[in-house]
Amino acid sequence: MIAVLGLILGIVLGLVLQPAVPLWAQPYLPIAIVAALDAVFGAVRAAVEGLFDDRVFVISFLANVSVAALIVFLGDQLGVGAQLSTGVVVVLAVRIFSNAAAIRRHLLGA
Amino acid sequence: MSAPAPPRNDRRDAVGALLGQIWDDALDPGYAAAAARRSAKEQSAPERRRRAVGAAVALGLVGVLLAAAAVQTRTARPVVTEQRHQLVQRIHEQTRLNDQLSAAIASTGAEVDRLKSAQLATTAEGEQLASQLEALGVTSGALAVQGPGVRVSLDDAPADSPLVDPTKPELSRVLDRDVAMVVNGLWAAGAEAMSVNGQRLTSLSAIRTAGDAILVDYRPLTRPYLVSAIGGPTLESQFAAGSAGASLRTLHDAYGIRYGIEGVQDLSLSAASGLTLRYATTEGAP
Repeated sequence: MIAVLGLILGIVLGLVLQPAVPLWAQPYLPIAIVAALDAVFGAVRAAVEGLFDDRVFVISFLANVSVAALIVFLGDQLGVGAQLSTGVVVVLAVRIFSNAAAIRRHLLGA
Repeated sequence: MSAPAPPRNDRRDAVGALLGQIWDDALDPGYAAAAARRSAKEQSAPERRRRAVGAAVALGLVGVLLAAAAVQTRTARPVVTEQRHQLVQRIHEQTRLNDQLSAAIASTGAEVDRLKSAQLATTAEGEQLASQLEALGVTSGALAVQGPGVRVSLDDAPADSPLVDPTKPELSRVLDRDVAMVVNGLWAAGAEAMSVNGQRLTSLSAIRTAGDAILVDYRPLTRPYLVSAIGGPTLESQFAAGSAGASLRTLHDAYGIRYGIEGVQDLSLSAASGLTLRYATTEGAP
């Protein structure tokens, strides 16, 4: 419950404050969002399966976002940024889909 | 969680297995481990609350990220449109400037011509020079000319023509060498001045091809191709009787290329643009 409130508060805060994304961070924003979504979907799945754990969620969220950003950064430095980004997005998207499917099975039973 | 995969050896299966593994391990294994630990020992209430707040803060961060990205994409779009608009405006401006300059060149050139002929008309020697200049201007393309002539049109074979070979449709298209053949045939038949699709030919004009387009003096032409030539009354018959006329008939009969030859009483050809003077120098001279 508190967690959902936190999400809503975060969105409202972001919309009201309109934080300017610094130029150097702009390439990482989309990847960071996909990674964050992955962590959120994992958390929701864990919650509907009765496995949710706050500590695991916080750590997996922070680690996901920073590792994804790090991979993109490394890829940019090595000149394979686009390919690595694609790889990261593919893996995260597959996970999001899998988790969403599990959530759907749990909630709808189909 | 996953059933043990059967042994796979080829590469496609390896990729499939990799994706399958990602799919199966989608839920962070940490959740299961934490649940196992939790069931072993019960947590105190304050610790649970602290952790719930941590999760809320993390979700709040997710929200800020989402909102920032949304704001970012919304504000970035007008900038891109604005830049494109500015580029379009600059292109229009430069085109207009170019047109103005071309007009200025044309009017100044006419003024120069008028002054030149006025100056030359004052002496007998000058008059001789003037007629020489005019003859040279006609052949070099420097002067606009008007007079009777011939118009030869060339076009690709119609798509439904039975002569079009479906495996080699490019054979039934007009090529640069076909246009060059017509031009050379007209010169040979006594043409004095010529233009292709309004592009005046000079003694240095090149008829080439680049990709699918035929270029005359590096300007692309679109079909149909229209060669206008000014010449004497025998130009049309001499052209049709010459080798170029025969080649045209062969192209028509074998590949379906369409062509037409018609005599015109009053043709006017514009002067060639971009003519520059070239100076010969001896070797070793500065």
